[in-house]
Amino acid sequence: MDAVQVNKTLDLKGLLCPIPVVKMAQAIKTVAVGEVIEATATDPGVMADIPAWCRTTGQELVRITRENGVISFAVRRVK
Amino acid sequence: MSETVRTETINTALGALERVLDRRLVAALEVCARCGICAEACHVYASDPRPEHVPAARAERVRAVYRRQHDPLGKLFPWLVGAKDLTEPDLDALAEPAFASCTLCRRCTINCPFGVDTALIMRAARAMLTATDRAPEMLVMLADAAIARGEHAEEFREIYREIVAGLEHEAQERLGDPTLRIPLDQQGAEILYVGLSGAHTILPAAIIFHEANASWTLSMFEASNYGLFLGDPARAKAIARRIVDEAVRLGVKEVVLTECGHAYAALRWEAPNWFGGEFPFKVRSIVEVLADYVRDGRLALDPTANPEPVTYHDSCNLARNGGLIEAPRIVLRAAVQNFVEMNPHGKENFCCGGGGGLVAIPEWFETRMRAGRKKAEQIRAAGAPVVATSCENCNLQLTDLNGYYDLNVQVVGLMELVVNALLKARRRHAVPLPEAA
Ligand code: SF4
Ligand code: SF4
Repeated sequence: MDAVQVNKTLDLKGLLCPIPVVKMAQAIKTVAVGEVIEATATDPGVMADIPAWCRTTGQELVRITRENGVISFAVRRVK
Repeated sequence: MSETVRTETINTALGALERVLDRRLVAALEVCARCGICAEACHVYASDPRPEHVPAARAERVRAVYRRQHDPLGKLFPWLVGAKDLTEPDLDALAEPAFASCTLCRRCTINCPFGVDTALIMRAARAMLTATDRAPEMLVMLADAAIARGEHAEEFREIYREIVAGLEHEAQERLGDPTLRIPLDQQGAEILYVGLSGAHTILPAAIIFHEANASWTLSMFEASNYGLFLGDPARAKAIARRIVDEAVRLGVKEVVLTECGHAYAALRWEAPNWFGGEFPFKVRSIVEVLADYVRDGRLALDPTANPEPVTYHDSCNLARNGGLIEAPRIVLRAAVQNFVEMNPHGKENFCCGGGGGLVAIPEWFETRMRAGRKKAEQIRAAGAPVVATSCENCNLQLTDLNGYYDLNVQVVGLMELVVNALLKARRRHAVPLPEAA
């Protein structure tokens, strides 16, 4: 279904704003350019915050979905 | 590094200082008797008594530069008045005192015999550091992401509607009332409520507004303003503008900000200066609104829902700087059974140690835990198992202090306590439905 290769996973469930974005920003520096981080979170604010963060930092939002209260998203490091 | 680059950087920093140099800042920079009274007033010094943690000492780094630029003696005989040319190493060394060991809490100011506003000086230092790319990356990123969300509001509108629909359902279930609504973009509503990105700031507010029968609508944006922490009026204004424009478009009578100290300080006290005038709406904290609802009998609360002793941590921005001291106590006395004051409290309360944006900067975790020692001692001495607060920053910091210092308390927001009391009162008053014939 989803052919993206994931290089690192992050569990951000239970964390409140702005900590999921902070953790994601820290984690992106630990992977190489071109690699992908997949994360799960529960705070719905992430649905708007992560796309905004990707836009300003120039990273690629590969996908973001929500199912049964869990948001999962994948971000590719571009720079 | 070449001489030209050095000069450009220094000029940029000095330019940033000049831009924020108003009468208040000049007064703060020119007056200091070096009496040292501010030392013990500062939670950072009180928690970790080192000379560099004395407020006057951290302000002196900027004062020396100011004297070199503006004091007639400082221009001619810098050594005589402790004036100093700004250098790049000085700028580098300013980052820690300005961003990590001053939370802009202003406890030193109210304890200084001359009212010297060290926080204002540190904000000017932050402006110089931000202008020369020396601000913590995380604060810059969070500020820019907030601005991006405003610039692409249309793209986010549908995502947000989806989020709000989910939250509305959750709030209905929690209250047991399918008529509860979370209005979005409601033209002519009286209140524009601005939460944070987190659902925890929207759910309890929705229940409270529903029960108080308020005319309200939820903002598309979040209340926090990281531009304020950066000391960058341009970014701070861009972040505030999203809310100001939304409030004007919807024609609301007031903007009510969620439990967030710096958001309140930004929109209530600072924004009118950034925009050059008053707004056509009031700005209040949810804490003030809750106090009104309690006073007016618009919320039925059963304090037995919160039976354990509760103490309250006053946020620096709400209490000391915003004057909201009685309002949270009106709410607490109605929502909990046993309210215990922390000592000192109100405008003399010690900062939690996580203000000024510090909770969002992972690399300074140890620094803020050390600076929170005084707060941890205060909480322990209060002896209450529940610590309430009405600021998100404080909530995050107190939760971290709880683990770090083994305080064994529960940290809760004021709205949560109100919702507990409200749900219990509602259950007690609920009239059972007649059984089907
Ligand atoms: S208390 Fe005021 S006057 Fe005294 S050292 Fe501190 S800032 Fe200066
Ligand atoms: S504003 Fe607060 S943290 Fe900063 S120097 Fe004064 S007391 Fe210390």
